[in-house]
Amino acid sequence: MSTQRSTLLQMALPRDLADLARAEGVNPDLAWLLTSTDLNLAGSYEEVFLLVEPERLVTLGRPSDGRSVVRISLRREDIRQIRTRRGVGGGFLEALASGVFVEIVAYSNARADAFRKVAAKLKAWIHGNQPDVGPADDYDPRKCPKCGLALEFKGDICRRCVDRGAVFSRVIRLMRPYAAWATLMLLVLMTSIGLLMIPPRLTKILVDQVIAPKSADAATVPLATRELWLLYLVMALVAILILRALCDSINGRLSSFVGTQVTATMRESVLARLTRLSVDYYDRHSVGQLISRAGYDTAAFNDLVRQVTQGFLAQILVVIVTGAMLFSISWKLALWTLLPAPLVILASAFYWRRVYPRYFRVWDAQSRLMNSLNSILSGIRVVKAFGQEKREEGRFARSSRYVRDSARRVEYATSLFNPTMALIFGLGGPIVWYVGGREVIHQESLSLGDLVAFLAYLGMFYAPLTHMTQLTDWLTRFLTAAQRTFEVLDTAPQIVEAGQPTTMPPLHGTIRFENVTFGYDRHEPIIKDVTLEIRPGEHVGVVGKSGSGKTTLINLIARFYDVDDGRVFVNGVDVRDLPLDELRRTIGVVLQEPFLFRGTIWANVTYGRRDAGPEDVLAAAKAANAHAFILRHPLGYDTYIGERGAGLSGGERQRISIARALLYDPQILILDEATSNVDTESEQLIQEALQRVTRGRTTVAIAHRLSTLKNCDRIFVLDDGRIVEQGTHDELLQKRGLYFRLVKIQTELAREPSVDSLDFRNKRK
Amino acid sequence: MQQSPDARTPDADLSPGSDPTRVRRLTPEMCQIHLGTHDALHVTVTGERIYGGVYAVYAFPVAHRDGYICLMHSVGEGDDLEIGIIRDLADFPPDQADLVRQALARRYFMHTITRINEVGWRYGLVSMDVETDKGPARFMMRWSHDRAVDYGQRGKVLIDTSDNRYLIPDVDALPPRERTAFTRIIYW
Repeated sequence: MSTQRSTLLQMALPRDLADLARAEGVNPDLAWLLTSTDLNLAGSYEEVFLLVEPERLVTLGRPSDGRSVVRISLRREDIRQIRTRRGVGGGFLEALASGVFVEIVAYSNARADAFRKVAAKLKAWIHGNQPDVGPADDYDPRKCPKCGLALEFKGDICRRCVDRGAVFSRVIRLMRPYAAWATLMLLVLMTSIGLLMIPPRLTKILVDQVIAPKSADAATVPLATRELWLLYLVMALVAILILRALCDSINGRLSSFVGTQVTATMRESVLARLTRLSVDYYDRHSVGQLISRAGYDTAAFNDLVRQVTQGFLAQILVVIVTGAMLFSISWKLALWTLLPAPLVILASAFYWRRVYPRYFRVWDAQSRLMNSLNSILSGIRVVKAFGQEKREEGRFARSSRYVRDSARRVEYATSLFNPTMALIFGLGGPIVWYVGGREVIHQESLSLGDLVAFLAYLGMFYAPLTHMTQLTDWLTRFLTAAQRTFEVLDTAPQIVEAGQPTTMPPLHGTIRFENVTFGYDRHEPIIKDVTLEIRPGEHVGVVGKSGSGKTTLINLIARFYDVDDGRVFVNGVDVRDLPLDELRRTIGVVLQEPFLFRGTIWANVTYGRRDAGPEDVLAAAKAANAHAFILRHPLGYDTYIGERGAGLSGGERQRISIARALLYDPQILILDEATSNVDTESEQLIQEALQRVTRGRTTVAIAHRLSTLKNCDRIFVLDDGRIVEQGTHDELLQKRGLYFRLVKIQTELAREPSVDSLDFRNKRK
Repeated sequence: MQQSPDARTPDADLSPGSDPTRVRRLTPEMCQIHLGTHDALHVTVTGERIYGGVYAVYAFPVAHRDGYICLMHSVGEGDDLEIGIIRDLADFPPDQADLVRQALARRYFMHTITRINEVGWRYGLVSMDVETDKGPARFMMRWSHDRAVDYGQRGKVLIDTSDNRYLIPDVDALPPRERTAFTRIIYW
């Protein structure tokens, strides 16, 4: 036993409850396991304790309604089995006692992992073993070690503890290689804004000095000079327009250069990380989700550069500089024009917070409508066959009306918002005309030129304000996308390389499972305490019902997942101690769905061995019965095949995948339902190929068609995660157990009187 | 035949002489539901046997809350058998019906939201502050379709970061302020 205590499984009983328990003959000091759950057996929230003494298990709850403090008491010798059972939103720890499964405690999903550990320890305890309980049991990979927030999956990054400042500073660090470009972009931006401020100033001169000078000035300046000045000033205005266009063009080009480069770098880094992550990561994330992260979230970095050079930063600068210009012309008038500004900000905030999110509903509704249409048109034969045209029309009409209503809600809101904004914008003009006009009429400090320039600046001042309210929204969206991208980059593979890996010994494919337990689900293991040994060169079949754990078993051999308990050895070494590339180099896999990549047949066959020569490839293809059909293609091995092997039949794809495995030349070959999805003619060709491929190799084959495993050296029969039978085909038939029943079912399904006739049928073909 | 996903069809010794593909309806005339050893739920089928360690599963958890309830019998790890189906709980004596309801309450640990105090965003997750039939609750959930799933025509089941479930039986029946706040974020 550990000397240090587990805070999760060796809790202290509250003093009052401990006293009450003692009064009823329960001694908490004897407990080797003491934990609590959040639910009682009625399914209500209540803290109930599970206390396990060396020879007894009790549950304790606060006494109420005349109930005893001891809720359940079971003696170890009376318990035959311990299990967890999944409910909805929670689960149960159950014990088989007196022939009945008794619910010991109920727990919500928040405690599911803890009770999976408890169940594992109790399973050992009922068999007289004293399990080790210690601080190691406190580690909960589904909770943030810092704040305790439940994580989405084991080892996920805690969203609460992610330092947003750190995200931003990391973004800035990422941009550091582009510092020179960024400085140049900022300089060009400042120049562009500076140029934007000049035309109203020139307009003032045009009005006050050239077009409508005060009568005294007009008398002193000759008309020809004024005309010349008019020409110069107009030319200056044109020059400024050209310069601004040039600046904007340069900035657009620079931001595109930097933005796309940053995005490309991020995209490639994300994909590099994704290819290194363990298979369990792909169990938790849909392909669509990952495509979104690699494809769209990384595009946020391009958006960042664009926003800095042409979006928010530019608009902030325009507001500041224009504001300064307004105040420099007339601070009194500038104060008047600020009157509608809060209204602009408020209305924009309302729009972005309340109106804009309604677009999401419209987009979602449109997407559902398209899905509905797609499903009706793709499944039109089924619709017609079942005479459900009217029903589908009704379903589509409902989706269509939902799109209509959602779109109306948004459009009604925007049709109110846009004129309101126009009204608010427009209010500034009359204010300036009235207040400024009075000053011009009374010939106070403001000239007509000032007033015209002021109005020009005013137009520039309001427009960016509407976008400023989106700044926080955009920033949140950007930071979220950046964070999601960093999450992928920061996610550590669950399958980690050993610190000091052992070199693969020169054996030829021994596999050993030692008391292996593993489950994808928190409540129930899929593989339960499995022990087996496969000798070098042995051909082994694995059979069992769907969900019995066959594929999980081979996933553990290839170390796509790590075991929860026990050990898996390949060539006598724990797979966790082997370098992953060496382990995977030892194992070749032929899957039910052969996955081929876009490219030539040659590239697909040599996928695992890029150094293979033409003779090697030809030999592998011939052995895989693929050579003949490849030659039938006009471009032979140089034939281009589409995504996932488009253009080839299922059997052809499988034979290419076998050639690929053969060329890889692994010590251990795993065949996972390799002939399930092909027609019988292809199956015969594939079986022939497999016989050649498996010769001299340790082979583990899973097959539903049991006839294909008849010649295996040994067959393991899995049932509910355990090996219930093993032996040769004939031995297992003689046992008349599960294997016999499975064979019988298949024989009946095939309308054949016996297993032997199944075999005969294969030979006949 | 409606079956629990983790169940297999009862074999001949479970319901002698019956067709295993037939839906076996449990009636008060043929069976009695009671507590037995260790206070576990038991079902005695007349002329057949006593089944211990029984649990109840809804066949239609949304459409039929008081009927089509499968009674399951645990016979081993992951190896449970269906004893039969109760078509209408009201057919059974109240004390027996209550035992089934209690078994269902144990299996279906779901909070029913009675009021939404606040819906917002925190740490990129949807944060909910609600009142439920089991008391006030605050939880966080991912903002994705699979975390707010349809419950019947108008309801929603929200699944938080710990996989706990929160039911809104009818989103349209929420007060306007709560509905607006909710559908602004969970709009699907």
